[in-house]
Formats: sequence, C-alpha cells, structure tokens
Amino acid sequence: MSFTPIRILTQHSRALVGGLLTALLLSACASAPVAPTESLNNARGAIENAEQAEARQYAPAELEEAQAQLTAAERAVSEERMLEAERLAEQARVSAALAKARTEEAKAAAINRQMERSAEALREEMRRGGDQQ
Amino acid sequence: MKTLPFVKKPSLGTIGSAVVLSSILLTACAVAPVAPPGAAEARAELNALQSNPDMVRHARVELRDAEEAVRLAEQPLDDDEAALAEHRVYMADRMVAIAAAKAATRKAEAAREQLSEEREEARLASRTREVDQARAEARRARQAAEEATEMSARETAELQQQIEELQAKTTDRGLVLTLGDVLFASGSAELQSGDNRNLEKLVTFLNEYPERDVLIEGHTDNVGSAAFNQTLSRQRAESVRRYLTERGIQSRRIDVSGIGMERPVASNETATGRQQNRRVEVIIEH
Repeated sequence: MSFTPIRILTQHSRALVGGLLTALLLSACASAPVAPTESLNNARGAIENAEQAEARQYAPAELEEAQAQLTAAERAVSEERMLEAERLAEQARVSAALAKARTEEAKAAAINRQMERSAEALREEMRRGGDQQ
Repeated sequence: MKTLPFVKKPSLGTIGSAVVLSSILLTACAVAPVAPPGAAEARAELNALQSNPDMVRHARVELRDAEEAVRLAEQPLDDDEAALAEHRVYMADRMVAIAAAKAATRKAEAAREQLSEEREEARLASRTREVDQARAEARRARQAAEEATEMSARETAELQQQIEELQAKTTDRGLVLTLGDVLFASGSAELQSGDNRNLEKLVTFLNEYPERDVLIEGHTDNVGSAAFNQTLSRQRAESVRRYLTERGIQSRRIDVSGIGMERPVASNETATGRQQNRRVEVIIEH
C-alpha cells in the first residue's frame, strides 16, 4: 500500500525522461547547428600565438587574413552556416600558423644578418689594424 | 540462321569484354577525372620544396603534412562541392607555405652555429692580434729601454774609457787633463810639432761630447818673474786653444786662463817638482 505512489511517480518520470530524450534527439537531427567550437578555439589560439610572436610586425598580411577568416567564421556560426564556419575557422588557423612561421623566418634571417655584420665588422677592424702595422 | 548464332549466343569472351568496358566507363562517369583548380599549383610548389635537400632536412614533418593536404586537395570532387575543393586547395597551399617558412627558419638557425663560430674565430683572431700587438709593443718598449740603458751604459763606459785615455782626473771642477811641459820648448809657448796624442784624444773627446766646454789653464814653475810666468802660461794655454780650434772645436767652448806659478802641484825645490809644475791643465766642465 505504501509503495504505490512511488511506483506511479517512477513510471511518470520514466515517461518524461524518455520524452525529453526523444525531443532532444529529434531537435538535433532537425537543425544540426552545432558550432565548430574546437576549430574556432584552435583558430583563436593560433592567432594569439602569431600575435605573441610579433606577427603584426613581421607578417601583417597573413595575420590580418587569419583575423578576417576568424571573423567570417564567427559570423557564419551566428548565421548557423556551421560547415562554412568550420572551414573558415580552419583557414584562419593555417593562416595564423603561416603568419607565425613567416614571422619566425624573418626574425631568424634578421639575427643572421646581424651576426654576419658583426663578424664582418671584426674582420674589417682586423684588416684596418693590419694595415696600420 | 548461320549468322545468328553470334547474336543469339555471344561467346563468354565478348561478354567479359563488355562488362569490363562498361565498368570502366561507369567508373569514369562516377568519378570526375580532374583535380580541382589550384591543386596543381600547390603540387608544383610542394614538389619544388621536396626536391630541395635543405628543405627536406629542415621541415620533414611539415612537408609530410603538406603532402597529405595536397593529396586531399587533388581529390576530384563533384561540381556541387566546389566550396570544399576550394577549401582543400587553400589549406594545402598554406601548409606548403608553412613548410617552406619553417624550413627556412631552421636553415637559418643551423647556419647561425656556423656564423657564431665564424664570429668567434674573428673575435679570437682579433683578440690574438691585440695580444700580439700588445706583446710586440711591450717588446719594443723593453728593447728601447734596454737600448737606452745599454746606450747610456755604453756611453758611460766610453766616456770612462776616453777619460782614462786622456788620463784625466775627476775633480770637483770637472775632468782635469794635465798636459805635461814636454809639449813646449823651454821658455816657448809654441807647441812642439810631433806626436800630440793627448791633444788628439782631447779633440776626439770634444767632438764626441759637443755639450762639454773646456777651460784651459797654463801653469809654470817659479823660475823667472811672476809676470813673465803669467804671460807664458797664458800663451801656452792659448796655443792649446789654437790647436783645438784649428781642429774644428768651436772657440766659444774654450776658455783660456794663465795662472802662472801660483798653483804648483809639486815642490819647486827639485827639478822633478818644477817639471810637474810646468803644465797645461784642460778642465772639462761638467
């Protein structure tokens, strides 16, 4: 006698949970607008890395392209064009990676030039010193 | 009837060929045979990188990723998947560019070691040279000092030798060279011709030391009047001066004085003493 209300409640909850699940699944199937969160995060991280590497100074065109692509990806998300959003986010990621790679290339080249100059300056100094003797 | 069997009963071979042919045709129709536009460019760039040993060495992983991306981009797609094709080509193109940039960076970094070594060598060489220069300078300075010391030592030694040769005495008035009366005939102020070795040595000495001036003093014994002796002593001193000036010693370097018999160096009581008193002294001033 005392267990009956509980049993009834349980049965009701089961029905409710089942209904909710079905609704969820149905809604997922119906619109399927899942934002490409991972790709977007990867793109943002790559842009941040590029900025930290001073890409704004050394590879501004590549960095701007990446940022424009990320902006376009975010707009596509808001317009629920998720496939396009994902592709744009991926493009933003590789553009940012390229910006960083080109920044590092430019920096490395600058360092090498500096080293060459300093070695050359030393040699030049020696030559002049040698002439004096 | 006789021609029909071929139509009615086609051989197994013919059926086989038809199946193969149609399957080939079907496959060709199903898959578009061309890679999407732009994929060829990405492939060409990738191939260029892959044929460069430097690039391969420094960006092995990135090139592999790029290769994968290019292969994906090369996959033929249906016309309605143009956006995907474009996306894949874009990705492939960027991946190739990233590989190129990374390879260049690593190549520069590798070259840096070499550069660093070169710079170190240059620095070392420069420092070695500085040290060498400093050493050479120190050596030169030392040599100069040694030479100077040697010179002054030699000069001192030479001077000493000259003095010894002149048989001069070092006194507080200077070097005193005594020329005995044998240079003069008795009662005469004329220098005797002949071997005036001491006077020649004096000329040499004065030429050697042009900064030295001399005072020539004539002395006599006490035979005869004081006035006569004074005159005679001065005349003898002047004879010596003339001798020196005739040999190129400037007369302004030479002072002459006739002392007479006032400063004997020995007793006038004996012949030997008187002989010692008859003398000309050349005082080489300090």
